[in-house]
Amino acid sequence: MKPRVILAIATVCLGLIIAAVPSDTTKPFKLTASQLLEEVNTRTQFIAPETVADMIVKKDPSLRLIDVRGKDEYDKYHLTDALNIPLTDLLSEEYTDVLDQEIKMNVFYSNGSLQANEAWLITRQMGYQNNYVLEGGLNYWFDAIMNPQKPSSTSPDEEFAKYDFARSASQALGGGSIITTVSNSGKLPIKPVITGKPKKKKVAGGC
Amino acid sequence: MGPLAVNEIISENTNFLLAFIIGIGFGFVLEQSGFSSSRKLAGVFYGYDTVVMKVFFTGAITAMIGLLFFSLFDWVDLSLVYVNPNYLYSAIVGGVVMGAGFIMGGFCPGTSFCGAAIGKIDAMVFVAGLFIGVFGFSISFDWWKELYYAAFKGSPKMSEALGITDGLFALLLIVVASWMFWAAEWAEKKFPQQEY
Repeated sequence: MKPRVILAIATVCLGLIIAAVPSDTTKPFKLTASQLLEEVNTRTQFIAPETVADMIVKKDPSLRLIDVRGKDEYDKYHLTDALNIPLTDLLSEEYTDVLDQEIKMNVFYSNGSLQANEAWLITRQMGYQNNYVLEGGLNYWFDAIMNPQKPSSTSPDEEFAKYDFARSASQALGGGSIITTVSNSGKLPIKPVITGKPKKKKVAGGC
Repeated sequence: MGPLAVNEIISENTNFLLAFIIGIGFGFVLEQSGFSSSRKLAGVFYGYDTVVMKVFFTGAITAMIGLLFFSLFDWVDLSLVYVNPNYLYSAIVGGVVMGAGFIMGGFCPGTSFCGAAIGKIDAMVFVAGLFIGVFGFSISFDWWKELYYAAFKGSPKMSEALGITDGLFALLLIVVASWMFWAAEWAEKKFPQQEY
């Protein structure tokens, strides 16, 4: 037999093998366990609440908040313009277009960061990109943005800057009313006093 | 694991070095296969010499089988391999221009450099024409822009368009290519040309 005929037969055999192998079953997940561990270790999926608040205030069109809690909790309270995708429905086909895309920045949030992180892990394993987790979840959101604690007088200037930002952001986000309903009304009179303190601190810093 | 450059296993510079070495190998094989002769290249259009078609199809099939098996062994992630975006009208017009140039000049871009490297005058003229074409197109790009970007189809694969698996498409292509090789050799006997 001519060598070229042998080669042709060998090529056809290789083609038969590759045609018989189902292409997708060999890789159920797009990321290997070690790749995922690396991503988890670098904590790149977390977005600080300050960053998210800033984006909401500036009406950044790339931001898309996704509430992964159940519908009941979503109806009770959710962040501005947040979309509700309960964790149980995460893999439902109607949300694939939302989760697997390259334009928007999806930020998952739940009460803590556990559920949101679970949602991120699953979507990441599917190979989806541009999904993030709101660091600390809604609980920390309220602590850091909606109801920020005034820094102690010995805190560095950045703490005060952060605090001022959170104060203005919470006002822009309509946080004031929420805080008054959540906490007792005694807190409101305190706040104007606090706004005076950073000014004193600035002087101290100048010295 | 692969692609090596995309996954930053090798640096961009190493990537260029490898491309340089592979390019030299490619040129060497082209010259060894007689591709620096414009008569041989034009022969494919007249049916007396189909070695061009056979070599390029063999190259494509080898790369295809290699990539599919590499993907099967998890050595390369095919989703990270660059696929040319398809602008349908550009592809058709470009194909016609390229084909016409191929018949008239007797070279395709790669082989013209091969021919020029071994001192073929017609290949050098072809290279000069190639550069004139490149600059002419760049300067007049605004005129062609609309046609150039029309009918964008993304980066489709034949297997996706036909709705079959990559492996099955590979098998079909191998079978078709084998038949084409046989038909090509039949044509060579039918339209013989004196050896040059």
